[in-house]
Formats: sequence, C-alpha cells, structure tokens
Amino acid sequence: MELSDEIRISAPRDVVYQALNNVDVLRECIPGCEELTQASPDQLEAKVVLKIGPVKAKFAGEVTLDTSNAPDGFSLMGEGKGGAAGFAKGGADVTLTEDGDETILKYTAKVDIGGKIAQLGSRLIAGTAKKLSGKFFTKFGEVVSEQTVS
Amino acid sequence: MNDQTMTPEERAANLKGMGCARKRVEDVRFTQGKGNYVDDIKLDGMLFGAFVRSPYAHARVVSVNKDAALAVPGVVAVLTAEDLAPLGLHWMPTLAGDKQMVLADGKVLFQGQEVAYVVAENRYIAADAAELVDVEYEELPVLTDPFEALKSDVVLREDLAGQTEGAHGPRKHHNHIFTWEQGDKDATEAVLGEADVVAEEMVYYHRTHPCPLETCGCVASMDKVTGKLTLYGTFQAPHAIRTVVSLISGLAEHNIRVISPDIGGGFGNKVGAYAGYVCSVVASIVTGQPVKWVENRMENLMSTAFARDYWMRGKIAATKAGKITGLWCHTTADHGGFDACADPTKFPAGFMNICTGSYDIPVAYLAVDGVYTNKAPGGVAYRCSFRVTEAAYFIERMIEVLAIKLNMDAAELRRINFIKAEQFPYQSALGWEYDSGDYHTAWDKALKAVDYEGLRAEQAQRIEDFKAGKTRKLLGIGLTHFTEIVGAGPVKNCDILGLGMFDSCEIRIHPTGSAIARLGTISQGQGHATTFAQIIASEIGLPADDITLEEGDTDTAPYGLGTYGSRSTPVAGAATAMAARKIRPKAQMIAAYLLEVHDNDVEWDVDRFAVKGAPERFKTMKEIAFAAYNQAIPGLEPGLEAVSYYDPPNMTYPFGAYICVMEIDVDTGEWEVRQFYALDDCGTRINPMIIEGQVHGGVTEALAIAMGQEIAYDEMGNVKTGTLMDFFIPTAWETPNYTTDHTVTPSPHHPIGAKGVGESPNVGGVPAFSNAVHDAFRPFGLVQSHMPHDHWRIWKIANGLGMHG
Repeated sequence: MELSDEIRISAPRDVVYQALNNVDVLRECIPGCEELTQASPDQLEAKVVLKIGPVKAKFAGEVTLDTSNAPDGFSLMGEGKGGAAGFAKGGADVTLTEDGDETILKYTAKVDIGGKIAQLGSRLIAGTAKKLSGKFFTKFGEVVSEQTVS
Repeated sequence: MNDQTMTPEERAANLKGMGCARKRVEDVRFTQGKGNYVDDIKLDGMLFGAFVRSPYAHARVVSVNKDAALAVPGVVAVLTAEDLAPLGLHWMPTLAGDKQMVLADGKVLFQGQEVAYVVAENRYIAADAAELVDVEYEELPVLTDPFEALKSDVVLREDLAGQTEGAHGPRKHHNHIFTWEQGDKDATEAVLGEADVVAEEMVYYHRTHPCPLETCGCVASMDKVTGKLTLYGTFQAPHAIRTVVSLISGLAEHNIRVISPDIGGGFGNKVGAYAGYVCSVVASIVTGQPVKWVENRMENLMSTAFARDYWMRGKIAATKAGKITGLWCHTTADHGGFDACADPTKFPAGFMNICTGSYDIPVAYLAVDGVYTNKAPGGVAYRCSFRVTEAAYFIERMIEVLAIKLNMDAAELRRINFIKAEQFPYQSALGWEYDSGDYHTAWDKALKAVDYEGLRAEQAQRIEDFKAGKTRKLLGIGLTHFTEIVGAGPVKNCDILGLGMFDSCEIRIHPTGSAIARLGTISQGQGHATTFAQIIASEIGLPADDITLEEGDTDTAPYGLGTYGSRSTPVAGAATAMAARKIRPKAQMIAAYLLEVHDNDVEWDVDRFAVKGAPERFKTMKEIAFAAYNQAIPGLEPGLEAVSYYDPPNMTYPFGAYICVMEIDVDTGEWEVRQFYALDDCGTRINPMIIEGQVHGGVTEALAIAMGQEIAYDEMGNVKTGTLMDFFIPTAWETPNYTTDHTVTPSPHHPIGAKGVGESPNVGGVPAFSNAVHDAFRPFGLVQSHMPHDHWRIWKIANGLGMHG
C-alpha cells in the first residue's frame, strides 16, 4: 500500500524538523500512542494501539531514522508487530520545503501489511491509514504552531 | 380400498419407492431449527480449544511464550509442537502420502497455520488467551507462484531435504512433490506434429474453497474410566477418521467411537483430518474433559482444505474438418505447504485423466506436476469427484479454443467428436472404461430446448447493433457437454490409506414390517434418509415412510468410506440394493412355506410374494416380516436382515448438457444470466425432486466459482479473500432461474442403474458460465481469459480488446 500527502504547517522549517524529531511531540501526536522512547539517536521504540475495522491490537514497533538529509527532509524505516492481529512494515520519505513563515511537508510511504489486519481490514486499511495520518498532522500542526507562538 | 383391490401401480405408489418425488424426511427437523450439529453438542465439563495462527506465510518460529496466556483465569492448557512431540503427534500423515505439521514445528509454511492450541473453560477465554500467546517469528522469503517455486533456491519443506523420492515417485526439485503421467506421450506428440490444426492454450482453474455453511469442528471426549474416546465431528468419512485416529494415536480402534451428527454442507472440505481434531483429542486425553473446537469463517477459508489451483497447459489436434486427433495436457498443480489432497492413493492428481471428456479422442497424454508453495494445504474435490471439475473445465475450454482456431460453431464441433452411443462401453485414451452414454441425444435435446439457432441469430444481430453503437451489451452463449467419473471406487484401483473404497449397508426388518438401514456414508445435505429408503422400498416392498436410515455412528454403522466424490449412490446405494436383495430369498422361502407351495411357485409382486397364476394368494412383506420373528419354517434361523459390502466393478459416468445465456455490459463488466438450461443424465433417477434440488445448488456453486469466488493471495502470502465480504457466495440476488431437464441412460453395472448427480452441476456449470463470458467476446478476438470472471476482470477483457473507445 502506498500513501502520500502534502500538509502545510504554520511554522518555520527548522521548528518543524525539530518537532518531528522530538519524542514528546510525537508521542502526543501519534493516534493511540502509549509509549515512545528514544533507544538511540536514530532509533525509536513505540507501542501503539490501533483499531482497523474489527481488529484492535497493540503494536510494538521499532523505527529507524535516516537524518542525513536534514533539514530538507528525512527517511524512516519501521516494523510493527501486533501479535495475532498481524504486522506492518514499511518506510517513508519526508521532505520539508520552506514557504515564507510556513513549511510544506510532503511524504510518501510504502507499507506492507500482513496477518489478520490484512485480511479483515483490507477494505478499510487505505481509509484508516488516511484518517490516522490526517489525525497525526492535524495534531502535529496544532502543537508546532503553539510552540511557535509561545 | 384394501390390498386386494389396489392395482400393482397403486401399491407401488404407496411405497414411495424409486422415481417418487418424495419430500425430504430430514427437512422436518432442519426447517424447525431442530438439527443437531457439532456446535449443538454440549457435554458436562466441556472445554474449548482455539488456535494461535501464523500471520506469516513463511517464517521460522523462534520462540513461543505461553506465560501471559496461561495466566488468564480459565485457561487450562496451551499446547505447542513441543508438547505434542513426545507423543509423536506434532506431525500427522496426510491422505496423499505426505505428512503435515499439527502445530508449527520450527517453521510455518502458510498464513493461518496452527502454531499453538489454547484450551480454556469457554470459547471466549480461549480466543482472548490465544491473542496473548507471544510468538516470535523470523520472516522467510514467500513463494506463492508454483512456477517460481520450482525455480527458487528457497526450500519450503526442510523436513524433506535431500529426499528425491516422494510418495508418488521421483521429486525433481526441493519444492516438487510428484509427477503423474498417463497416456501415450510419443504417440500424442507425433499426432500433434502432423496435425492439420493444433490449438494451444493455458487454462487456469483458480484456487477456491468449498466454504460450507457450517465450518469444520469436533468435540473429543475421553472417558478415562472406560478408556473409550468419543469423537463427534464434521466428518464426511467417519469410519476413515476412526481408523486414522487409531493409527496415529495408538488407541485401539474398538475404543474409538466417531460420530458425525448433522452436517451443514461438506463439499469436500470435511474429508481430511485437521490439526483441530488431533489437538482436541490430545487435550481431552490430557485433561480428562471433553474438548470442543469449531473454526470461525476466517479460519475455515484460510486454513482448511482449498480446492483447484490447477494450471493446465493444453494442446488439441484436429483435422481441418474438426475431427479431434489428439489431446496433450501438462498441469502444474499448486498444493500449498503440505500435500494434503484427498485423492485415492494411486491417483495423486485424482481422476484428472478424465480430461478427454465426452469426446472420442484416439490418443492423449497427461502429465501433472505437484508443487509446494506458501499457501494452505488441501486440494479437495469441491463438489466434484477428484479433480473432475478441473478436467471438465480444461476440455470444455480447449474445445472452444479449437472452435475459434477452426472458425467453427462450437456446438457442431462437439457433435462431430462425441463418443457415439454404440461405442459404449468406451475405452478412453487415458485409461477409463466409460460405462454408458448417449451424448448425441442429450445434446440435440438441449440445443432444441434453448432454440440454439435462434440464439445464434440473436447474437449475430446483437453484434451488428453493438458495432453500430446501438447497444453496449453483448450476448454470450456458453455451451458445455461434460462427462464425469464418480463412484470411487473399485477396490482393485481405489483406496485411501490402504482402505478399499467399497461401501456398505445393513438392513434389519422389524417384526411389524418397518425397518432400519445403516450405511457407511454420511449425509451432509444430500438427503440420504429420503433416497436410500426409497431404494429399499422398491427392492423389498416396505413403504419408505416405515424405513429409518442411520449413518455416521461408527459403533453402529457398517464400515464404509463415506460421502464425497458423488460416491454415495453409486457405491452405498448399490450396497443398499444388494442388501435388500439378500433379504428377498429368505422372505420368498417364508412366503412359500406359509402359502404351502414350493419356493419356485411364488413370484415377487411389488410388495409381496404371490402364487404364480393365483395372484389372490399372497403374503405381503409385512406378513412375512412378522412370521420371520417366529418359527416361520421349522429349523430356519429367525430374523430378517442382511448386510452388503459393495465393491463396484467400475466407476459410473454421469453426463450432461448445460447451456448458459448471458448478457454482459462492456462498460461496467456486469453480467446477467438470462437463461440457464441444465440437462442431466444420471442414469436411473431415484427422487426427481432431490435431483432438481442438487442441480440448483450445484449450479449456484458453479456460478460462484466461475463469476467471482476465489482464494486470492498477495505476494506476501496474505489471504486476500478471508471473509465473506471478499469471498463470493451468491445470494438470491445473484442467483438466476434454472431450467432442469434429463435423459436416462442407466449404468449397466450398477444394481439399480443409478450414476450419482450431486456434483454434476458444479462440474458442468463452471465451464458453461465461463464459456458464456468467452463466447460473448469471441467475435472481438478473445481466446482465453482466466476465471473468476468478476466485474473487474470482465471490464479488463473489454478494455484489453479496445472496446472502451
């Protein structure tokens, strides 16, 4: 499954970039995030509760960041395991472009999904993923704008 | 009116014997919700089992942590392969000479494979706890394409590493299972080389699933006091299951009682042995309590036996005039992670060698290669005799492809190649002896019934209108003439795990002239209690309404191989008639004695023996039955009963002519079946109403398979059609109206001439629907397109032919 979107955030690029690398900000913005810890400078560990259609499960995952392109963007690779509910793995490329005081965030993600979520939720995955990423960026936009204002 | 004034015809009608459209006696309980299915069985202290299943299609199982699951209140046990290994039960034999993991032993080979078995006080706790079993997997490369699997370095079956010899001969590659060859390769290739015309095509019959309304399940109950195991289950072959359980568990066979209660459809899905049965038995032995396991719908679709998945490359040779001179077929058979096909032992590709169909083809050659992939095991006969529907689809597509190549009418091409009535018994090039048939009569009747010439004229006009832009709908005329091979089978070449495929019937007549019959088969909706009583009624002159039929309890029924492959009427039906006929001589002796004449001076008359030339002097079967329980004749053993174990001399070969008329919208891909005509010749007809019901049900399943139903996998080995949202089951909305018809060509070797009918409509229906789709697009250049023909794929055909402008 491939996802891509473009979001305008009312904050300068550096602020956005730093927020994207701030574990506390991410924990607040990721829907269903129960735990998010920085295992090493380029590694995050997460526990996220996800509900896709009739399947609700806690996913434990690891995310590896590639920040060599900062602050124009970064890449990430990750894998999440939800036990009986299945698993997901994939990666995303994020680019940040300055536009005056604002930043345009573009991402493309490729995700493979397996197990029960792939079977039961296959009709719902694209919609759910869109909804979740929408929730994330709405919240992220709010948090980052507040930080800029304060 | 009494017995003396009734005519023989009136007395025969009162028996409700063969030929009577007798109402199904089973429906009294089914229509009132009073059936007794496996999940209705509730025993004291019963526990419930649930599986932990692999989300991966191919992975190493690194560890299984049960702690969190065992901590859940109400959880009794969690079994893994490690627990079963000391008992030697972590693997089990399959019906195809392979072995299969009961619980994942180091790795998993398909999504949904059983990894652990949780036993708990109720099914909700079991399901919750199953989610808490923490399994660590290490992903391995996934092979879902059999052609890729045969080239890949990835070894699926590491347990077979280095084994170059399989259950059916040499293995050519580590993912190869067997090669099965039939016919004359050299002669066939010589004919292909010299032929006027050769049509070649790849015909794929996609993977699908029987998907019975009731999923698979069982209740295992070990009585530690008596040492007796009772196993209730959705078994199409209860006796074979008893023997298998005895062989793999080491329990003495007399200490195992297998009971198949009411079964909500089987269609081949319930023939094999599944991990759920083994785990439930072990759990009951370990806990001393009954254990129930019932699959949910997703588990059924993704783990218990699939059907088809045959890639059939064909070459058919003919003269310019359309006389077929040879047929060649190479099949690549995707068997999934284990070879668990349910076929007679000597037939690893079932009866695929019936693929010469209804046609007189002088030479033919068939080779089938079985291949392991990361898909669920199975390969069962989904409402067909072993691989017969694949064979019928193959030849009926190849005939259409040849008709295109010859620019001939496909109905005429069939007619000039049919085996002629006078050629029966007919020896086919691939080794079968067809018992009887009259294909030309059936074909002409079918074409006339649908006004074939008129339909072709209408189609020609439609094509003109389409080209002129007056319509966007095409008309397809799907033709099929199929020949089945059912009733497995003669013990000389048919066995399963060494058990000959005979079947049995025991009849006991009670003093008051009613009776009970017990059979080695088990109805899953076929209506045995109705039809087999009719056979007995006609054979021994007792009313069908006075005959109880009992099946499915191995403690009481005589040994038989069960119900699948349309074998019940050809084999157990024959045993029923033969058992009844064994009763008649004793009844005749008693009648003659009571009438004070010599045995040879009485003759059978519908429901009685009467003195020859004096029909007013008679003894009815009812009177004879009562006498049999006294000292009817001095020195004669009391009672009136018989048992027959029937080993059929040959298979039976039902046939039929099906025609489907379909409207197709080229812009949406939507289809509508305007007319479906089904002519079946199943030999002697026992109950016309049940035959009609079987044809309606079977054609509806054929519609599902041809037009949408499939088990689809993505490249990661995920089952994409694991729920009824995605797996097509027709409802009343999609189901068209059917016209049924028949001819009657009795089987010459069957005691009552019957051939079996339950699966014909699936065998004939699938090519009829598929050929209709192909026929609609034939004028626009379509030769072959793979099923299922759902709206999207039909739209793609039209798009690919440039019909969207």
